[in-house]
Amino acid sequence: MTTPIEVRNLTKRYDTVTALADISFSVQTGEIMGFLGPNGAGKTTTLRILTGMIGPTSGSVLVDGLDVTERTLEVRRRIGYLPETVVLYPELRVREYLDYRSRIKGVGRRTRAARIAEVLAQCALEDVTRKLIGRLSKGYRQRVALADCLLAQPNILILDEPTIGLDPHQIRQTRELITSLGQTTTVLLSTHILPEVEMTCQRVAIIDKGRIVAVDTPERLRQRLQGSQLVHVQLRGDASAIEAALKQLPGVARVTAQGHANGLAAFEVQANTGADVREAIFRLAVERQWALLQLAPTQVSLEDVFIHLTTQEQESVVANQEPAHV
Amino acid sequence: MTALWALTTRELKAFWYSPIAYVVGGVFLLLQGWVFWLLLAVLNDPRVDPSWTMTQFFFGGTFFYWFSILVVTPLLTMRTFSEEKRTGTIEFLLTAPVTDTQVVLAKFLGAWIAYIMLWALTLPFFLLLRTFTPFDWGPVVTGYVGTWLVGAALLAFGIFTSSLTRNQVIAAVLSFVAIILLFSIGVLDVFVRDPEGSRLIQYLSLMEHLRAFSKGILDTRPLIFYVSLTTIALFLTGRVIANPRWRS
Repeated sequence: MTTPIEVRNLTKRYDTVTALADISFSVQTGEIMGFLGPNGAGKTTTLRILTGMIGPTSGSVLVDGLDVTERTLEVRRRIGYLPETVVLYPELRVREYLDYRSRIKGVGRRTRAARIAEVLAQCALEDVTRKLIGRLSKGYRQRVALADCLLAQPNILILDEPTIGLDPHQIRQTRELITSLGQTTTVLLSTHILPEVEMTCQRVAIIDKGRIVAVDTPERLRQRLQGSQLVHVQLRGDASAIEAALKQLPGVARVTAQGHANGLAAFEVQANTGADVREAIFRLAVERQWALLQLAPTQVSLEDVFIHLTTQEQESVVANQEPAHV
Repeated sequence: MTALWALTTRELKAFWYSPIAYVVGGVFLLLQGWVFWLLLAVLNDPRVDPSWTMTQFFFGGTFFYWFSILVVTPLLTMRTFSEEKRTGTIEFLLTAPVTDTQVVLAKFLGAWIAYIMLWALTLPFFLLLRTFTPFDWGPVVTGYVGTWLVGAALLAFGIFTSSLTRNQVIAAVLSFVAIILLFSIGVLDVFVRDPEGSRLIQYLSLMEHLRAFSKGILDTRPLIFYVSLTTIALFLTGRVIANPRWRS
């Protein structure tokens, strides 16, 4: 059996900008793979190459063993693609739109009506079949686009940020739908939201600045980073002096200031893999006469993996706001 | 074929479901009605040169004919690619299992069918006239064919300019300017003394072509001219949208 998606040494350049630098990964049959990275990391570019919308500068993409640039139409027939920004013809009604899409996707005339009824049910759209797309809420439009994805019964689904801009209730419904689809279909799910990956994906590829920085299961990525220690420290003393001293300690990889008030300063200290920095911190505190008020190891989440791998602090703020369990 | 037809009907729907269709259609019919009224006045005037025929007057004989062609075609095509690119619906189109050729052809067919339908709305004029006076249908048929041929070329131009920009207004202005330039080639004839140059200009002159069509002459030279123009413009459009820079 061939691999549903195989990306080999893919590079995409725009003039001087390198959007993708030699990325490789594959998605196996039946798995839901997360494609995780901050905005602008190259996720959408990769997916557009996968769907044959744009061509690569070098490297290749095989979908079910077919080269995307050579057999674009055959590849597109096998893929259900949900673009990041869902804009559908506003003047068409929902059923009318799906009928149009099923025709251009080559769904047979006899099965067309049945297929449309099926996807309408799958995406809970039965109530709005006669509504104009332009009048629908964003959540409904997203579902219409998802229904469109499923029309031709593709073996592979490529979803670009499918829950972006939805309310918590819709997000949960969408994730449930993706999970249930993942039982029969191979899914590549692009997102910058970490809980989404932890909840729905069996494997995850992390991309940053056009490079794949890790490909693993969410659990293994967590373990990989648990090898290196992350501790919360709270000390009484001059914040900048403490920060400088902490950074000097052997085995410390990174120190993040977490604010200070009333002479108390809080930090997050990341140790090098295998190193235990707790004793060193304790000795430092004694030596410099800073009262040590807290020294606690942190449970490492995928969010931290992500920050560690990409050091995009801003992204973690966005991701933290995302409700983990809604 | 199913896909091409589905794409074409979508184009037609985009036109007929929009208010532009009714504004354009309304103005168009108003102009043509005016032309018809003038035509009746001319036919009733004994001082008019009897060699002037009804169809020569209706097809290309008045300013209003050219005005409706030159203005209507950019309005029909300005939306085609610009709007899809501006809103982002193009991504759904270009990732569907259809070829670029099908997409371009469907855009063209959609606009052309809408244009043909607009002109078909003027058919009742002739049916009405027929009840009062006998005339030869031949020149009427060739007149319509000529009008549809000119339209095809101008619409293809408009689709090309629409593929160049994501702004509908710019697309309309660009195609309008291109169409005016093409149209004015024929007007240049007055200034050219050289017989060879004059012949070339007559070959390129839209007005000259229409004069022949409205006399009932179906010449292959203008036919080839318009078919080539249409093909070239559509081919160029295909090149534009195949450009990776355009697509991303």
